[in-house]
Parts: sequence; C-alpha cells; structure tokens
Amino acid sequence: MKDLDQYWRYSFVGALLCAAAIGIVLRIMSIQADPQRLKQLEAEIEQVTKVQKTIVPARGQIYDRWGNLLAGNKKVYEIGVELQDVEDPQFIAHAVSMIVPDIKYEYVFSMASLKPSPSAVYATLTRFAPQEAVDKLELLKKQLKEDYVANGKDAPSLRGLVYYPHLERYYPEKALASNILGFVSRDNQGYFGVEERFNELLSGKARTVLVPTDPNRVEEMPEVPNGASLVLTIEREVQLAMEEIIDDAVAETGSASGTLVVMNPKTGEIIAMATTPRIDLNEYWRLEEVFPPGSNIPFNRAVGQAYEPGSVFKPLTMAIALDTGAVTPDTVFVDTGSIEVGGIFIVNWNRGAWGPQDMTGCLQHSLNVCLAWVATQIGPNNFYRGLQAFGLGHLTGVDLAGEVAGRLKAPGDNDWFASDLGTNSFGQGIAVTPVQMAAAISAIANNGVMMAPKIVRSVINDGYQHDIEQRVIGMPIKPETARTLSEMLARSLEKESSDALVPGYRVAGKTGTAEIPIPGQGYTSNQTNASFVGWGPVDDPQFLVYVWLEKPSTSPWGSVVAAPVFRRAVEKLVIYLNLPPDDVRRRLASSN
Amino acid sequence: MEQLEYLAKSYTQAPWRRQLQLIGLFSLFLVLAALVAGIYLNVSAKTAIIGRDIQAKQRMLESLDRDIEDRTARLASILSVAEMEARARKLGFEQVQPEQIVYLKLPGYIERGAVILAPYAQKTVVSAPMIPAEYTESLFTWLRRQASFTMLRLSEAKP
Repeated sequence: MKDLDQYWRYSFVGALLCAAAIGIVLRIMSIQADPQRLKQLEAEIEQVTKVQKTIVPARGQIYDRWGNLLAGNKKVYEIGVELQDVEDPQFIAHAVSMIVPDIKYEYVFSMASLKPSPSAVYATLTRFAPQEAVDKLELLKKQLKEDYVANGKDAPSLRGLVYYPHLERYYPEKALASNILGFVSRDNQGYFGVEERFNELLSGKARTVLVPTDPNRVEEMPEVPNGASLVLTIEREVQLAMEEIIDDAVAETGSASGTLVVMNPKTGEIIAMATTPRIDLNEYWRLEEVFPPGSNIPFNRAVGQAYEPGSVFKPLTMAIALDTGAVTPDTVFVDTGSIEVGGIFIVNWNRGAWGPQDMTGCLQHSLNVCLAWVATQIGPNNFYRGLQAFGLGHLTGVDLAGEVAGRLKAPGDNDWFASDLGTNSFGQGIAVTPVQMAAAISAIANNGVMMAPKIVRSVINDGYQHDIEQRVIGMPIKPETARTLSEMLARSLEKESSDALVPGYRVAGKTGTAEIPIPGQGYTSNQTNASFVGWGPVDDPQFLVYVWLEKPSTSPWGSVVAAPVFRRAVEKLVIYLNLPPDDVRRRLASSN
Repeated sequence: MEQLEYLAKSYTQAPWRRQLQLIGLFSLFLVLAALVAGIYLNVSAKTAIIGRDIQAKQRMLESLDRDIEDRTARLASILSVAEMEARARKLGFEQVQPEQIVYLKLPGYIERGAVILAPYAQKTVVSAPMIPAEYTESLFTWLRRQASFTMLRLSEAKP
C-alpha cells in the first residue's frame, strides 16, 4: 500500500515536471515562431545592453578657388552636470559663470541644484563653450584636486561637472564673402548663400547606432562620411579688394548700399561678389542688428534684389537691334528730343535734342529717345523674345540661396502696355538683379555665348573631387553682333573720356542711371540707382564687372559715381588676375 | 549458485575503492570544468580588454578627427587674408601698383592651375581578388574543389 502511495506521488511529480518542461518548450516554440515577439524581445534586450549614439558627420568645408579655407569647423564643448555626482552646486555655479562667457550664475546654480531622479540625471549648462574655457576649468579641477589632497573634505568641489567636445561652424575670414557663404545656425541648418543652397550636401547624413555597453560585444562603428566640401570660384584676395572698393564707394557717395559683381564672361565663374551690408558670420546671431526684420534688406543684393537698371540696359536693346538687322552701327537717328511710344512721350536724360546720331553716338550719349526708336524698329515680339533669350525674367540658377527672378513684362501680360516697349528699351519698367544683368551682358563680351553664372567650382565628396562643368545657357546674339557691339561700347567710352577708362587696358562698358519709382506715384523722387557694367580687355575679355550704387547722394549719375568704381575695381583686378596691359600682352604674344 | 555468488563477491570492488573511483571521476569532471571555465574566463577577459581597447581607439579616432577639423580652422584663421596682410605690412611690404609691375616672359613657366584638394573620381577597375581562395572558402568547398580537380585529372589521364 505504501509502495503504491509512493508510486503515485512520484508519478504525479514526474507528470508535473514533464508538463512544465513541455510548457517551456511550447513557449519557446511560440516565441521562435512569432517574429514580432522575437523582434520585441530583441529590442528589449538591446535597450538594456546597448546605448543609442548619434554620429553627426563633420560639416563639409568651403574653400576659395585656390584652396583657402572660407568655412570650417572648430572644436567647442558641451558643459553639463551629472546630477547624481554634484556635491557643491554653488561652487560649480561660481566657477562656470566666471570662466565660461555668456552664462549666468543663477542659471548654473539652478541647474546644478536639481534633484537627481530617473527622469533627470544630467543637465546641460551650455552647448558651445570655447576650448579656452574648458582648459581653465580643467586647470581649476587640477588645483582643487591638489587642495583636496592637502585639506581633505572641506575643499570646494567641481565633482559632477562634465564636458563633451563637438564641432561648430567657423569662418576664419569672418565677414569676408559673408553674402556668398551664408551661415550655419547652432542646430546645423544652413541659412542664405552657399550654406543654405547646399545644406544637405554640406551637412552629410547623421546616423543613429546602438553601441553595446558590454565590451565583449563591441561592434565595428559604421563609417559615417563627412559632408561634402565645396571649392568656390571666388578668389579670396579679389573678394577682399572688391569689398573694400564697394565699402569706400558707398561711404564716398553716400549711397544706401553697394553691389559689385566680378565675373569671367568666358566661363561664367563669379570671381567676386561684394555687397553691403555684411556680417561677421561667427556672430550670426547679430543678423537682426544689420538686417532688421521688416526692412526687406536682402542678405545678398546681387541675387536677392531686383531693381530697375536704367541705361545700363541699353546694350541689350542695341544687341537685339543689331542682331535682328533692325539697325546697323551706321544707322543715323535724328534726335528731336522726344518720341511718342504707345501714347507716352519719352525724353532724354537732359531733356535735350541731340540731332543726328549714329548708333554709337546713341550709346555714348545714352539717349533714351534713340533707344526707344530702336525698340520700335525691332518690334515688340522680337524685342521681348530677345530679352527672354538674354535670360531676363528667369532665375540664372547661380549656386546661391534666395535668388529672385526679377520682372519682365511681355505682350500678352495683363500689365503690359504698348508704352512699355519704349520705356523698357532704356531699362525702365523692368526689374533685374545684378547677377542677371552680368550674365546677360556677358553674352556680348563672350562672342554671343551666355554662360551660366556659377559660384561652386568643385565638389569633394567621398574623397573624390568632382569639377562642375561650365554650362552654356544660350546664344542670344550672333558672334559678329557681339563683337560689333563691344567695339561700339569701347569707342563710346573712349569718346566721352569716361571715368571708367583704365590706363593700358581697353575696356567696353555702359553707365546707367535709373530713377526709382515710388509705388502709386511713379518716378517722382530724386533718388536714383547708379550702375555701370564693363568688361575687358575688349579683344580677349577676362573679366566683367557690374557696379550698382543704390540712392547715391553726392551725385545721381552713374557716370559720376559708378564709373570710377569700375575703374578702381579693374585696376585691382588686373594685378590679381595677372593681366598685363594690352600692349605688353600683345608684345609677349607676338614674341612666341 | 553459491559458487556464482562467491565469484561475484570475489570480483566485487571494495566499497572504499568504488567511492574513490567516484570521487576521482567527480574530481576529474571538476578539473575539466575548472579548466574550461578558466579558458573561458581568460578568453572573455582578453576579449573584454580588446573590446575596451577598440572602444577607446574609436573614441580617440573621433577625437583626432575633431582635432584635425579644429586645427585646420585655427590654421586658416592664422593664414586669413586680413592676418596675412597685417603681417606683410608689419614686415614692410606694401601693395604693388600697376605701374610698378614688370611683365616678363619666362620659358617653361606653368600658370597656376585649379586647386586639387582630392583625387578626381576615376572609373573603377575590377581587379582579381588578392586573397587566395584557400583563405576564404570553407572546408567543404575546398574538398569539393579538390575532388573535382582530381576527377578532371583522372578523366584527362584516360587514353
């Protein structure tokens, strides 16, 4: 009986264990068979055994055309407190507020005094402390350690204060080319210029990985490539010289702003683009001091502000006229002082009658009446088709953020009137950006071929350099037309003994003075936009310079205020670009 | 039957001997287990040290990358155009005027070319693998390869 009783007990325990074993096996099988549950389990395990780490690649660098660094990255520190380790929040607050710039005692004290909890283990004091501040804190820590050894527990303590290095955008040239570069905010977002236009390419792709805490399970960290670097077409020294020239010109002429664009008409490469105002990019948070909100001042006027260019536009009208055969250089127009186009009367800048003039004379004396007549000879369809071929009214696609397209009205538009043909012919009632004008005029300098203006010369990505090819965006006029017009414009400058002439170098160009319209009132103000566009040497153009001074107060005329700026710019350019005077160049070429 | 029992008793091990054998076996098992545990500990300790080393080196690599970026920026700051100009002026240099420049023809002079900061991307050339197959294939693949090679040679040897 006893044996039987024992047998049942053993059998029962055996059965119980078997059932438990089967249950475990079934559970294992159910888990193994359920991929979702498996993933969930793996995730739970990973949470315990791995920590999340975001690898932020270094932002790509920006160089000028000769490899000088314009935008790089410097090391800064995030300073924080491990709340559990803090012993002396008062001393931490004292030390940090004394050493680290722009951080207040009260803030540090309140953060360091926080009670540690599962949801509060660490508090950030600042994310962008300079290396020098951290060096000082480190030195202080060292001294405190020595004091602690000498005095024991009573010594003040920085325990719990920690710092982690990371990178921040840095511009070694400060304000130089700031309008071209733009800046990067502390959340690694590019604003304006190249930084905004190529933000994704420059910033690279951050990657979040799980790093095992167990050293036995250490895994290879994934390669996160740095952001792509850019080589610009800008020449640092030329850019500085042009910025100095335009700053001086703005100060001398009492202008509201100044813009100067230097371009290679053969390649479309922009060598310098100087505009006012500018900011030190390392202190971008002062942006609103220079560009007050609501003031509508564009960060880069060369691409971001369209304006009525005035007479500097006349070469385009003449180019279309010569190209379509509407006129020849020898066509004579008898200027009677006014002309009626579309119901309005157009007069010259001095309201005078200039009598018989050939086309060079019309350009030389900048006669509105003559150019309006030329436009009527071209006819509206050919005229506007020609302007569109010069890229007006469209974005040039220059590698900068914030480009505007300007405004070119054309027959068929609701706001186009027949009188616009006359006013548009001398650059009134039409809105263009300096870079649009430079690109359009470059077609005249470059045998009729219009190159796309470009700022980025090469991209360095994944360890390889890729050059950006020059792009032809059109051939608005024939090569003969371009050569003829260049010659006409060179002669017109020479005949009027322009202030734009540069000794030793033959240049072609045109001044422009445009009245500024007041919305709803028309051209009633005395304020003007003074411009000059020119290029040289005429027989082998290496540069094209576009100058725009907004609302000059010493004189309203482009020939007085803008032409000398062109000359000063060219005098510097020929040195930086190693361009010998024409006679020397020809002599050197003939000795080959 | 008695004889059989006698024989069985005669050849039965003494209890102390059997206990000794069991203890011996158990000790052997313990020694083996300790050996395995020791090897395991040794290997895992080495792995942990190497793991820590790798982690430290990864941190060092990140730190060096940051230092390179930082020093490049600092160097650029020292060589910035404003700094260089100020230094040049301090050394007594002044900006050249157009009339001071003399242009000479230098035979063999090569004009400054475009800056090359990285090699240009080239077409990938597919080359033969550098590591011999013996180092990469599994034992079974190697055996299969050897077998097929032998078969081929045998078939070729036939008249």
